Amino acid sequence: MCDKIKINLVVNGEPVTFEVQPHVSLLRALRDNYYYDVKCGCEEGDCGTCTVLLDGIATKSCITLAAACEGHEVWTDKGLGYNDALAARLQAAFVECGSIQCGFCSPGMIVAGVHYLKHGGKADRRAIKRSISGNLCRCTGYVKIVDAIYKVAQEIERGALA
Amino acid sequence: MNQMNESVIGKNIPRSDGHAKVTGTMVYPSDVIIPGMMYGAVLRSPHPHAEIVSVDTSEAERMGAVCLTYADINPIMYNERSVSIPAATYRDRTVLPSKARHFGEPLMAVAADTEELAHKAVKAIKIEYKVLEAVYDPDEAMKEGAPQLYENIYLGDNKLTVKNNIGVVRNIDEGDCAGGFARADRIFEHTFDLERIYHNQLETKCAVCKPEPDGSLTVWATAQSIHANRQLLARILNMPLSKLNVVRLPFGGAFGSSIQVNTVTPICACLALKAGRPVKLTSAREEDFYSHQKYPARFTVKMGVTNDGVITAAHVKALIDFGAHQVQPLPFMGCTAGWFASLYKYDGNIRFDGTAVYTNKTPCCAMQGYGNPQINFAIESMIDIICEEMRFSAVDFRLKNYRGIGDEFWGQGPTIRSIIKSCGVEQSLVEGRKMTDFENRQRPEDRTGDIRRGLGLARGFHTSGTAGPKEGEVIDYSSALIKINEDGSVDLVTPVTDHGGGTWDALKKITAETLQVPFDMVGLAPAATTNTGYDVCTHATRGVYCGGAAVYHVAMKVKERLLEYAGRLMAEHAYNLEVARRDELGQGVVQVKHFPSKFMTIGDIAKQAQIMSWGTIAYTDSYRQRNCPPCFTTHFVEVEIDTRTGVITVPKVLIFGDCGVALNPDLVKGQLIGSFNRGFGYTVFETMPLNEKTGELMNKGLLTDYKTPTSAEMPKIEDVEVILCDTYEPSGPYGAKGIGEAALASVQAAIANAVYNAVGIRFYKLPITPEVLLAALKKKEQEAAK
Repeated sequence: MCDKIKINLVVNGEPVTFEVQPHVSLLRALRDNYYYDVKCGCEEGDCGTCTVLLDGIATKSCITLAAACEGHEVWTDKGLGYNDALAARLQAAFVECGSIQCGFCSPGMIVAGVHYLKHGGKADRRAIKRSISGNLCRCTGYVKIVDAIYKVAQEIERGALA
Repeated sequence: MNQMNESVIGKNIPRSDGHAKVTGTMVYPSDVIIPGMMYGAVLRSPHPHAEIVSVDTSEAERMGAVCLTYADINPIMYNERSVSIPAATYRDRTVLPSKARHFGEPLMAVAADTEELAHKAVKAIKIEYKVLEAVYDPDEAMKEGAPQLYENIYLGDNKLTVKNNIGVVRNIDEGDCAGGFARADRIFEHTFDLERIYHNQLETKCAVCKPEPDGSLTVWATAQSIHANRQLLARILNMPLSKLNVVRLPFGGAFGSSIQVNTVTPICACLALKAGRPVKLTSAREEDFYSHQKYPARFTVKMGVTNDGVITAAHVKALIDFGAHQVQPLPFMGCTAGWFASLYKYDGNIRFDGTAVYTNKTPCCAMQGYGNPQINFAIESMIDIICEEMRFSAVDFRLKNYRGIGDEFWGQGPTIRSIIKSCGVEQSLVEGRKMTDFENRQRPEDRTGDIRRGLGLARGFHTSGTAGPKEGEVIDYSSALIKINEDGSVDLVTPVTDHGGGTWDALKKITAETLQVPFDMVGLAPAATTNTGYDVCTHATRGVYCGGAAVYHVAMKVKERLLEYAGRLMAEHAYNLEVARRDELGQGVVQVKHFPSKFMTIGDIAKQAQIMSWGTIAYTDSYRQRNCPPCFTTHFVEVEIDTRTGVITVPKVLIFGDCGVALNPDLVKGQLIGSFNRGFGYTVFETMPLNEKTGELMNKGLLTDYKTPTSAEMPKIEDVEVILCDTYEPSGPYGAKGIGEAALASVQAAIANAVYNAVGIRFYKLPITPEVLLAALKKKEQEAAK
């Protein structure tokens, strides 16, 4: 087995050092360090349950090399919820709109939604559907997930959210 | 002062586990970690059919891995699924097999300190195989001289010889089919084919097993039934049930694939006991594809119809290719027969001839409907064919022939029958017809242009639970424990699992309503097999109807004791007292009937009972429902077909759901919408071709090549309309029935019937992919040109 390397990055606003093997994915590195809100659904980049924000961009952590994140900033769903008003609002909207069933896709889906809203996404269902189309949900049929993101986008447009 | 508080029944309350789920703090089986745990990995068969000649694990062991082979396991034979009585359960498998019967079958396993080391150790195991010829097609498998998967299997305690790979034969004959067909003016006969599909629940199967210092074993596993897991593990490990504790957890979807004890769970338990350390075993997605698939089916359906629109007889021949092991195709065929028999009256003349065959493929199991979506596609397509050819109204014909109130319903095959007491079929069909202007839809031959729309209809149902008035082949009861705490809050302990549909909130609501306490004052206690009575499983759409009935029964007993204690404290007869929710007090009270100013909060009553040493106001019991009411669904689907690309989209869908009283309407609607999404995938996308040279899936277990619907393919929310029928199920808790599996039953046929209405082509096989549709359009064009 190869020697571990140290990587320094910022996760959920805190500087951390992970000791990882050079070939390990960001998903594995995060889960090995107890960031269990980042879910593992396929490890092939298909399902999107492991989506995190990497320097503000929604990224599938299972197909991102941990070592490549040296010096970069990662936000997970849980960290966003505690630190970011918009993310916390979107999480609450998921509950209000009935966007959750088994809940396994929810953290990744919320991160995808946060990316959309933070990049100027409008209350436009077609655009929302496209923006989360890389995240699979087998339970809900997406309709209520789109509804939650739409609701928060409307609130932003109305100026109800900073 | 005594305001009328709005009932929690039928009220949309945001789900209690919502916060934990959206913040990612909910612990799923794959999130369970135990200090000092090892990681398991499974060696899976690279051949579809092979004998294991020799095994050498020495290299893997030198690497520090604990290895588990056939020689290490207790070779008792079992069926992973145990919801049926033992006498109706075929047994053909062991924890690890002595012979590989499908590609990807677990053959050996290892545990090591890291996952990486475990996978390296798996690669270091040397196995010599004697590769055998494999058979994939059920017709081929039944031929003389075909490769045989088994010599012997067991039915209950009886050893049986397997001939021609036929696993189960199930024939049902009622009434007089020959006479019924003789009376018919027209006979219709068609064959329908449904492929295997894959559950694709987002969390793969996982188990964590921890040997405890007292010699017991604690298990955290993906499980729809904690008690089924406990009982099977106890048999395999030869341990007393009291030494096996299976913990109830939420899980990332199942859709029926964890009704059975998942294959990885006993493997993980055996590894943990051999290693003497906790072991975690999680399937990779590529492995999960080879662990469970939906039953495929081929049905030949024959129906007789009179000129005045009465179905006089129906005969279904079913061929089921269930793969390498039985995960109960016997009840599967019984249920399939029941769904067929209960859709229409057929003048009481029905016949079902079912054969289920072993092949060298992944074992099939339940997937939302247990044969219902499959047979519904055949029957509801057939009804559409009859209506088109005989020019009947598709609505009136159904209304004339359907089984409704007062008719018999087979909730779980021929042995579990009950009488229908609530029914939303008429409301669904009549309102839907009006809302979609169904009778005035264009005929296929009148539709022109490159983009064609079509409108289709199908109806379906599923059972609510598996408990008829008379016990049958399937076990059904549930248990609950409820106690009132000294501050007026309530603890609910239930073995019932929640797939995500909101079953737990429904059970909490039933408790809150019965005891008249605020919803937030009911706590769902952690539960495991050692502290709960038996519950068969959250399957068969029984969570609310059966699990909820047990909760209701126990809550009523708790209420009885509460009123008795209150009577003593308030110097009133218990029968003169009632419970009432007082939101302004933050809890429930016991008050004098018609004199509510005389009351005590239930917290005070419990506290006083404690001070007086009377005891805790609590009760526990098991309860069996005595009915299995059908929950009905009807789908009106509009499709749009691009005849240049063959792509089918759904601009509009109208869904009727009859779940009795919806305890939480939003969650019921969510299930109906989600099921439409899965049904859309089943109808137009999902297929899993096999490489017949290697027995391997063509997609190699990768999701990339297994297309399921994404958000982009679903209709807009404004164009999905869900209507819940105004029905009340007298035997259900607060009028409730189920909805879960019914929600999928009629989606496939409704889409296929809409496709027919759009382009005039009948599809007898799913999925209708763009390639299939384009080929059919081309064929039709060529025929028209002749």
